[in-house]
Amino acid sequence: MFLHRVRRALVALAFMSPALAFAGFTDVLDTPASASPLASKGLLNGLALAGKRIVAVGQRGQIVYSDDAGASWRQASVPVASDLVAVSFPTPQQGWAVGHDGVVLHSSDGGATWARQLDGRRVGPLMMEQLRARAARGELGSSADAAALIEEAARIAAQGAENPFLDVWFADEHNGFIVGAFNLIFRTTDGGKTWVSWFDRTENPDRLHLYAVRGVGTDVYIAGEQGLLLKLDREADRFHVLATPYKGTYFGVIGSGDAVVVYGLRGNAYRSTDGGTHWQAIDTGIQEGLTGSTAFGAQGLALVSQAGNLLVSRDDGAHFTLYRQPKPVPASAVAVVGDATVIAGALGVKTQASH
Amino acid sequence: MNVETMSLDRMPVVGALHEFDTNSGNVLERLVFNHRFAMMLVCALATVLLGWVAVTRLSFNASFEKMIPSNHPYIRHYLENANELRGLGNSLRVVVSVDDGSIFDPKYQEALKKINDELFLTRGVDRAGLKSLWTPAVRWTEVTEEGFRGGPVMPDNYDGSPQHTAQLKLNIARAGIVGRFVGNDFKSSMIFVPLLSKDPETGAAIDYRALSHTLDDLRSRYEATPGVKIHLHVIGFAKLVGDLIDGLVKVMGFFAIAALIAMLVIYGYTRCVRSTALVILCSVVAVVWQLGLVALLGFALDPFSVLVPFLIFAIGVSHGAQKMNGIMQDIGRGTHRLVAARYTFRRLFLAGVTALLADAVGFGVLMLIDIPVIKDLALTASIGVAVLIFTNLLLLPVLLSFSGVDPVAAQRSLRSERERAEGRGTGVVWQVLERFTTRRWAVAALGVAAVLAGAGLMVSKHLKIGDLERGAPELRADSRYNRDNAYITGNYSLSSDMFAVIVKTPAEGCLKYVTLVEADRLAWALRQVPGVQTTIFLGDAVRQITAGSYEGSPKWLTISRNQDVLNYGAQQASVNNPDLFNNACSVMPVIAYLSDHRAETLDRVVAAAEAFAGSHAGTGREYLLAAGTAGIEAATNIVVRQADRTMLFYVYGAVIVLCFITFRSWRAVVVAVVPLMLTSILCEALMVALGIGVKVATLPVIALGVGIGVDYALYLLSIQLAQQRAGVPLEDAYRHAVQFTGKVVALVGVTLAAGVVTWAFSPIKFQGDMGILLTFMFLWNMVGALVLIPALSHFLLRKAT
Repeated sequence: MFLHRVRRALVALAFMSPALAFAGFTDVLDTPASASPLASKGLLNGLALAGKRIVAVGQRGQIVYSDDAGASWRQASVPVASDLVAVSFPTPQQGWAVGHDGVVLHSSDGGATWARQLDGRRVGPLMMEQLRARAARGELGSSADAAALIEEAARIAAQGAENPFLDVWFADEHNGFIVGAFNLIFRTTDGGKTWVSWFDRTENPDRLHLYAVRGVGTDVYIAGEQGLLLKLDREADRFHVLATPYKGTYFGVIGSGDAVVVYGLRGNAYRSTDGGTHWQAIDTGIQEGLTGSTAFGAQGLALVSQAGNLLVSRDDGAHFTLYRQPKPVPASAVAVVGDATVIAGALGVKTQASH
Repeated sequence: MNVETMSLDRMPVVGALHEFDTNSGNVLERLVFNHRFAMMLVCALATVLLGWVAVTRLSFNASFEKMIPSNHPYIRHYLENANELRGLGNSLRVVVSVDDGSIFDPKYQEALKKINDELFLTRGVDRAGLKSLWTPAVRWTEVTEEGFRGGPVMPDNYDGSPQHTAQLKLNIARAGIVGRFVGNDFKSSMIFVPLLSKDPETGAAIDYRALSHTLDDLRSRYEATPGVKIHLHVIGFAKLVGDLIDGLVKVMGFFAIAALIAMLVIYGYTRCVRSTALVILCSVVAVVWQLGLVALLGFALDPFSVLVPFLIFAIGVSHGAQKMNGIMQDIGRGTHRLVAARYTFRRLFLAGVTALLADAVGFGVLMLIDIPVIKDLALTASIGVAVLIFTNLLLLPVLLSFSGVDPVAAQRSLRSERERAEGRGTGVVWQVLERFTTRRWAVAALGVAAVLAGAGLMVSKHLKIGDLERGAPELRADSRYNRDNAYITGNYSLSSDMFAVIVKTPAEGCLKYVTLVEADRLAWALRQVPGVQTTIFLGDAVRQITAGSYEGSPKWLTISRNQDVLNYGAQQASVNNPDLFNNACSVMPVIAYLSDHRAETLDRVVAAAEAFAGSHAGTGREYLLAAGTAGIEAATNIVVRQADRTMLFYVYGAVIVLCFITFRSWRAVVVAVVPLMLTSILCEALMVALGIGVKVATLPVIALGVGIGVDYALYLLSIQLAQQRAGVPLEDAYRHAVQFTGKVVALVGVTLAAGVVTWAFSPIKFQGDMGILLTFMFLWNMVGALVLIPALSHFLLRKAT
């Protein structure tokens, strides 16, 4: 226990003053993203629409945006050089981006400039402070349960900036969720001014990574490792597990109309039209992992894969058509703007006419 | 210099030998001429001995380390870490392509396997680093529900069956090696063959020529494989050097042509078979000695030093011709041949030594270029010049003292000498030259020279450093090697121009989070440089492996702060990409692949890398420039650029000092040096016009052009000044100088040009460039001297100082 505390103290010290830890090294959390004409050509993992503007986030804190459906890109001003993985714009102005090193960024000008709301140095203490307070109020069940939960959370919190946030979803400019590795999850109801840990409010006893969070209709789903799919119970303010046919990892969840679609490893995708009670396998016709998705138009859904293939549905995900790319590049995210489809991936953003 | 005008009083005509005092003359003369048989015996023995050494011991080689500036910090960094940088050093790329069908033809794979196996067993190959479809190190990886799995791309027990072929196709696709080990069109695949610098069994340097011939043999055998039309494309330094050595053997054959041209020139000059044969013989003896000594000192012939015999021969012939000329005139006057030989020795030995010293200056200055192959060139050429003192200044007169000359030719020589002295019989050319001492012609000549210099300077502003063309500029664009290179760069993604920064840390330091992030920043900084196509380093592999261990999610394409994750990544990388870091994990290259190797591109990359190294130096991390082909080329360019200036400075400095010692007049020095400068400027302009950059091969050209070119001025001005000092007005003094030495100047210019002009037909492009440029310099220096010396003299040397 003592050693444990010493180590935590050292870790905290290290992150308080990185210059002490590594002479001549500036941490990525203290380094603004560098301006580069290659920003729109490197790995971009997250895409979102801010009104008509496309915003893409990626490696080394690079955020680019386009007002002409992807024909040209400008680079945003970003205070960190961390690898960013996801972005969400509930309104044309207000947006949030998350990524490695526990980074949460906020923009209130449609993605042109970004400010830090949270990072990995604060995530652990914040989570532990809240959990300990709730344990003290007896909100975490029996004292034995609470102690076990606190100990487990403390272990993850101590890893500090090691753990990334893997997805962000905002319902509107006030309410949003961020999820990440080892069951990291926070909710805000004030546009990110305060973040509340929901670590104890997920039915995820193995603390599996949470890859995606998304609202479908009035429901909110979280997809994760080893077939984990959670659904928000608004009454109880908890995420409950849903049974699905697949035990491999889900990388994402998306919905259109009444239908919700989860997708992940090796081309696996499943569709439910009854809020997640029953699932049907979707014939995707591909073997590689499905990595990104978007809903568009009245009944449109699009999925992209690790091998760069594009799947499009016009009937709420009942049927998908596979569009193999002539020069496939691993893809991470997809967005549809007007009649253009924008795909982000290993070699940046590419725009093509929608099928 | 040429002292033909020396009074004949002290050298009376001696028709019979017994009238001659054999104890006259200096010690050297008595030593040589009173022991003529011993002298000849010694020389004959030396020739046989050195010839034998040359034949048995002389080898052709050009080792990797000799072609690069080994003292430059970049190269030192590279050489110090060369053993740790697998895949960046000396390697071959053997691409096996198929005409019809694709690489999935079982016959193709069978041939590929055999080629792979033969290469594996070839001497000098670093077997551990050999990579191809048939080596287990080329692997695929895949993410499944159970985790990460992978294996060699070539299915176990591949037998060419459709199942195995399908398996191979799948493995290639998931290994992502298209563009690296498989051609973009699936019609070829690559065998990557790293080479050792020394044979592990014998410890001797790798014999590139033998290796190259092994590859040629491999090529011819497998291109004849029945049932499938395959081609081998081979690139890499070793193959290039092998081709260069074959080229230089071919160039050696040109020597006969150069000798024949020189022989015709000399015969045209003397019309005496006997003496022509002796001059050629002595010059050949000089070359034999030079080659023998080179072999004895343990040097090998490389594409540069192979040119030395041509120069030695040409210089020997031009000096020999003068000796012969003097002897001929004495004999024509009736002096006994032995006495004539001794007179000529007395008159010309010192002058000859001075002239050879001037040539040696040209060679010696090359010592300043810190590239071993050029230093070797300087040394072997200096040996050759030293040898000439024995063969052409000592042996030749002795031989002539036995043979004498053709009496008819001797009379003819004397007659023309007399005619020249009386102002008759000189050709129109020589009369025209005299006019340049008049104001109008002098102004016109200097005006034209000024315009040429101005235009030349404008053009030479565009002179580039380094290699300007794609592929290997050493060889011609249509050479086999460059066609192979074009095929490979056309069908594979990564260029062969690699610039690597060596990141050095304490042991186990390369996989630390901080190191990887810093290296990632370096890679990113390099990628911003125009001309950098992409970068590769350990971090890229670690990102991929990290994402792989998180089931391939692109969100995990990151450098994790978790050391366990990084350790796992590095451990996996050591299996799949062992060339990305060394075993101790203390040396890790960040490699930038460049679109070309032009000097501007290299300069930009160097600047970016230096800037990063300067601003990111941290304890426990060093960023050392540079490795990779482009890194070495960048260092070479830096050395060449510096050498280009210092060499010009020193060669002109030396020539100016030499001229001042000879003339004792600053004005005369200006008169002698200005024509050389014009030639140097025009030579640079010519290089721009011909698309030749300043590189290792062109550095010697200017030094030799100036060092040897000053001979003309030495000949002309020494006579002109001697006359002027005796009270003769400029016009007459120059006329005398041209009358007495004009022919010699022309002879020297033509024989030197004849010696180098054959290089223009060399299969080695830089030898061709050197041939063209040197021919230009030798001839233009001659014209410049004959026209500009009188014109400049008109303004600067009206009165002898």
